[in-house]
Amino acid sequence: MNALKTPFFPVHGVIRSIIELAADNRLFEIQLQEPNGLPRCRPGQFVQLWIPGVGEAPISVCSGKVGASMELCVRRAGRVTSALFQMQEGDWLGLRGPYGNGFPVELFEGKDLVLIAGGLGVAPIRSLWQYLLDYRQKFGRLILVYGMRHSIDLLFRAEFQVLLRRRDLDVYIAAEDVVGPQLPTVSFQLGRVTDMIKLAQITPGFQAAVCGPPVMYKYVVQELRAKGMPDSNIWLSLERHMKCGIGKCGHCYVGGQFTCRAGPVFRLNDLQFLPEAIECA
Amino acid sequence: MEQCFTFEKEQFPLFFEAMSEHGTVLAPVRVSEQSFAFRPVSSAGEIAFEALRTILPPKKLFYPQRETILGYEGRTIEERKPDVKPQVLFGVHPCDLAGLGVLDAIFSSDPADSHYLARRKATIVVGLSCMPDRYCFCNSVGTDSPEKGYDVFLTDIGGSYFARVNSPAGLQLLQSRPGLMQPASGDARQQYKDFWVNRDRAFQIGFKSGNLPAIVDMEWDNPIWEELGQRCLSCGNCTPVCPTCYCFDILDVASLTGDSGERVREWDSCQFSGFAQVAGGFNFRPGPVDRLRFWYRHKLHGFEDAYGFPTCVGCGRCTVSCPAGIDDIVGVVLRLQGGQDGQGGEER
Ligand SMILES: Cc1cc2nc3c(=O)[nH]c(=O)nc-3n(C[C@H](O)[C@H](O)[C@H](O)COP(=O)(O)OP(=O)(O)OC[C@H]3O[C@@H](n4cnc5c(N)ncnc54)[C@H](O)[C@@H]3O)c2cc1C
Ligand code: SF4
Ligand code: SF4
Ligand code: FES
Repeated sequence: MNALKTPFFPVHGVIRSIIELAADNRLFEIQLQEPNGLPRCRPGQFVQLWIPGVGEAPISVCSGKVGASMELCVRRAGRVTSALFQMQEGDWLGLRGPYGNGFPVELFEGKDLVLIAGGLGVAPIRSLWQYLLDYRQKFGRLILVYGMRHSIDLLFRAEFQVLLRRRDLDVYIAAEDVVGPQLPTVSFQLGRVTDMIKLAQITPGFQAAVCGPPVMYKYVVQELRAKGMPDSNIWLSLERHMKCGIGKCGHCYVGGQFTCRAGPVFRLNDLQFLPEAIECA
Repeated sequence: MEQCFTFEKEQFPLFFEAMSEHGTVLAPVRVSEQSFAFRPVSSAGEIAFEALRTILPPKKLFYPQRETILGYEGRTIEERKPDVKPQVLFGVHPCDLAGLGVLDAIFSSDPADSHYLARRKATIVVGLSCMPDRYCFCNSVGTDSPEKGYDVFLTDIGGSYFARVNSPAGLQLLQSRPGLMQPASGDARQQYKDFWVNRDRAFQIGFKSGNLPAIVDMEWDNPIWEELGQRCLSCGNCTPVCPTCYCFDILDVASLTGDSGERVREWDSCQFSGFAQVAGGFNFRPGPVDRLRFWYRHKLHGFEDAYGFPTCVGCGRCTVSCPAGIDDIVGVVLRLQGGQDGQGGEER
């Protein structure tokens, strides 16, 4: 009985590097101190990041591979993330996970795929494209669509420069407006994610992986349906308030499911009868 | 096979002795003219046998309002195990037993909650029969006959208690006072059955629950949510009093120097405005109308998807505790089942 360990026990991680991606957005490389501390991490899963004395926040796994280290792309949003932004290389923090189901990469094998990211939704989508490119021959056509409000918010510029040159991947980047003294060093178009979906050569047989701000889903889904895609081919990664990540605290409950366990990635036709799932104020 | 015994009410002090021998006895006591609470007791005389619903359900004994889960000092993190001592929880009615069953399912599902389970496993639960008042409706939600979650269940059959045993620990408790327990006679068995038939007839309110999940989903846009939600104070009274509500927050409490501290778990409520808020100011349930409807759906439709059971056990606590008078589960169900004309559905 006493051998049972609390599921809230974290593993130690040490910040190995910090890269400024855009204002208030940083990429943290975390070195795991316990070997195999976060076993079998999949693209689209998340961890509970703990800053001692401050609290925890759910953060998506951002790198395709997780071994001795992992990458987390974090936006300064509130208490925990601000405290993280105060930290330096060599500081330690806690991690629990990985949690959630992640994207169905096995089901994606042999299929054409479109990855759609809005804003910070690019963080989990990056773990997916890195994974897909590592096993490129297992998948069909790959299209990556990434949209943001302002051009200065563009994350992973250096990586996109490389991705844009690949012939086995079509990349569409769109910003709603141009802000700042200079243009990003990456070619992008003016418009919304939905405009890029219209442009892209997406056929009904594609599978779509989508992550973005809550308001984005409705419009993206409309556009994908207009392309003839059935709902069963559309996979949405949902964000919810999460405190535990393990189906206990109740915060992420939606319809009849815990987003942290049954999700965060849901197949659209499974969400259809879940009230509150993709509409929001 | 379940074993049945009887013992005379006059002998209850002996039974109490047996319970105290096992550990601290927690039982309903009167805390004001109208209210009761589970408290440690040292004699049978302190127990309020007449108590129907305590202010808080017994969940607080396994899952306290606030508890420390972890402590850390520098880089060293350690689990703060709960201070667990053997105890006997006496006087739990069928609705609350069912409520404990719901929490058991949630906290023991993988990954199990070591804090809850440590306290739960150190506790012998003695159930007690009751007669419904005008707020009880456990018979509508199928939690009226005690099936599990107890070690011993006592039914009041007049001059005696009829004791059903459901675990080795329960049997040991009954047998620890030689001569106290008599094997249940044929007469006693008949009295026992009569009690439950009469109890079933005594319910004053209720509904048929068969179509509930479907109706709740169908009536998601019913104007009743607006009507009731407008009156909700978002005070969150309805959730701590519910035997099946368990949502929590985990927060850090740091020492003044900041290099040590604790991770503390506290009860939370889905009726508070920030419960479903995420970064960027998005709130999935921004107003009291959204949150009240969510709560009703969860109680009536419940965990049918995630766990396969509904989560209202019919204790009536929310109805008596809501300052706005809008947690009338039975009334709302009858209205939902009857459609939008405000006419009741089929009463049982
Ligand atoms: C599955 C999942 C994956 C995620 N992945 C990432 C990721 O990769 N990168 C990333 O940066 N973020 C990610 N997030 C979002 C991140 O978890 C949230 O932004 C989180 O709130 C940050 O924690 P915090 O303590 O810094 O912010 P908080 O202090 O929680 O504040 C966040 C926001 O909520 C508001 N807020 C909080 N509490 C209240 C309240 N009581 N009343 C009113 N407003 C309030 C604040 O105004 C603020 O805007 C993810 C979330 C989920 C669910
Ligand atoms: S339903 Fe009643 S008890 Fe619950 S928050 Fe609203 S006013 Fe308070
Ligand atoms: S919803 Fe109300 S009546 Fe039902 S179990 Fe909870 S407190 Fe009791
Ligand atoms: S985050 Fe706690 S239940 Fe999902």
